[in-house]
Amino acid sequence: KELRSERDTLCLLIQQPKPQNAITIAVSSRVLFNMDKEQQIYEQKGMEEYLKYQIEHETEPFGPGPAFPFVKALEAVNTRLRELYPESEELFDVVLMTNNHAHVGLRLINTINHHRLFIERFCMTGGNSPIGYLKAYHTNLYLSADPMKVREALEEGIAAATMFNPPEKRTEVSETQLRVAFDGDAVLFSDESERIYKAHGLDKFFEHEKAHENTLLDHGPLKGFLESLGKLQKKFYAKGQRMDCPIRTYLVTARSAASSGTRALKTLRSWGLDTDEALFLAGAPKGPMLEKIRPHIFFDDQMFHVEGAAELGTVAAHVPYGVAQKRPQKKLAEENAKDSSAAAK
Amino acid sequence: MDSMVRNPDVKQRDAAQAVVVAVSSDAIFDPEVEQVHGATEPLRKGDAFSFMKAIQVVNERLLTLNSDETLLFDVILLSNDSEEKHSRIIASAKHYGLDIGRFCFCNKEDSIESLQSNEVKLFLSMDTNDVCKALQKGVPAALLYHQTDPNHQTEDQLKVVFSGDVIGSSEEMLHGLREQGFTETQLQGFKTAKGSVKEFAILMGEMRRRFGLEGSPLCTGLMTVWSSRDVCASALKTLRGWGLLVDEAFCLAGAPRSPILNLGFIGNTMKSSTYVKEGRDYSMYYGLEV
Repeated sequence: KELRSERDTLCLLIQQPKPQNAITIAVSSRVLFNMDKEQQIYEQKGMEEYLKYQIEHETEPFGPGPAFPFVKALEAVNTRLRELYPESEELFDVVLMTNNHAHVGLRLINTINHHRLFIERFCMTGGNSPIGYLKAYHTNLYLSADPMKVREALEEGIAAATMFNPPEKRTEVSETQLRVAFDGDAVLFSDESERIYKAHGLDKFFEHEKAHENTLLDHGPLKGFLESLGKLQKKFYAKGQRMDCPIRTYLVTARSAASSGTRALKTLRSWGLDTDEALFLAGAPKGPMLEKIRPHIFFDDQMFHVEGAAELGTVAAHVPYGVAQKRPQKKLAEENAKDSSAAAK
Repeated sequence: MDSMVRNPDVKQRDAAQAVVVAVSSDAIFDPEVEQVHGATEPLRKGDAFSFMKAIQVVNERLLTLNSDETLLFDVILLSNDSEEKHSRIIASAKHYGLDIGRFCFCNKEDSIESLQSNEVKLFLSMDTNDVCKALQKGVPAALLYHQTDPNHQTEDQLKVVFSGDVIGSSEEMLHGLREQGFTETQLQGFKTAKGSVKEFAILMGEMRRRFGLEGSPLCTGLMTVWSSRDVCASALKTLRGWGLLVDEAFCLAGAPRSPILNLGFIGNTMKSSTYVKEGRDYSMYYGLEV
């Protein structure tokens, strides 16, 4: 009781959940906002000019970046959660994690205010690696424009993905329902099956998957994030809001429903997880399907799919994990599509 | 009454131009060690020893840039130890090659007076009570952050972190705190702390500008522990007005600060205007204890 009232006196000052209770999403400044122009200045004219420019334009808010709609959707979910569970700290907590210099701090805070974002936590590390801070904040997902930092985070066991400039033609996404799409292998699952495919080809892949249908796949870097989303979904179901749930998840995989997909579904089931929809494309391009789904973000380990999604208007993030990173991407997917349509015959 | 001993091994700074910093000897040399009467070997390194080394690096770099530089750290070691330990302290400083200009030996009760009479720009200690007492008397003081991991101590960069909650405070914000139940004394403590840190911040701003944006041995930061981002913004503006553009900024919104401090501010942190009362299991920091 005493603890409660002590907390009450400070509740005006702190409304943020404790990091270990919340689902912490760390975003870098370049994925939350559009800083293209400034990035160019930095690359062409160096740090001093860059910072000078930032300070001169301090009162001009940045435009939205690729992760902006995703963050807005997270806040929409939080609003619904707070209505149903006002005491709970199981919410999304968005942290701005940037290795930008604190000179840019005022412009970033002004921008957060301008867009009415609910971001109270931030780290501006002035050039130092943010990885240690990610761990200190129990980060559940890290989004950055810098692939090196993303790899570092993955190596430390933190779910992470690289984001790019949003597509020119952007598919409209919901402001009230968060939609997250995941690739299967090397994202939700480990890359073990992809390794078989790389080493021994598609036929061996199918053989292997069939033989191991009842063996669980090992988990991939984003399994935990799907799990967090599932936990929140159940909170809505518990209050009778299954039909109106503001979170929807999708599995979008090159596996085929008839064969290799079984192992994926069985694995998810045994983890106690599921996705609202599972789309088995049997090697077909993912872009058109994603265009229909309209997710706020789509995670894939292959740049080919990330780019394909972006071409048709979906914001996709690259998870640089697993064996797919060591070979040219496009060729693999083409082979995959060719062989799987041959196999289907 | 105190006794001031000049260190013959160190070139004396021009105290009027230098940043005079008094450091408690308990921070530099381990006070726990059982003092054997008549022992002569050097004292063991204390928890904030690497801080001294970091200060040295800053001074050396400043002199490299300009051999006539007068804006240097001028360290006074403040000791409340018994007389028999004095020579051992001086010998230990020499042994480790510490850049200490003067040794000030006095009784605990006279410490504040010594600080005031020596126009110390900042008093540093690892003892929260000592820091608070100094702040209450208007002596700028800060907590030297206790490093738990000896493997993580770095000596090549000095990190100075300012408190966003204090510096960003405004009448409006203080009024809000008043409504939350903070006492007038606590609120006054905020104002005093904000005033006392200004001069030091100005000096740090000047010193920081001696170095370039990258590769500086002096790194400055702002940390807002429980206030909102707007208070943090206010602090950034205030510091800028004082001539200090910090390198790093953190806004924790109530998240525990030690994981952050343990990482980013390894070994050599001065934190100005300290927080005293740590709430039970959820590290809330508020006000200055009276």
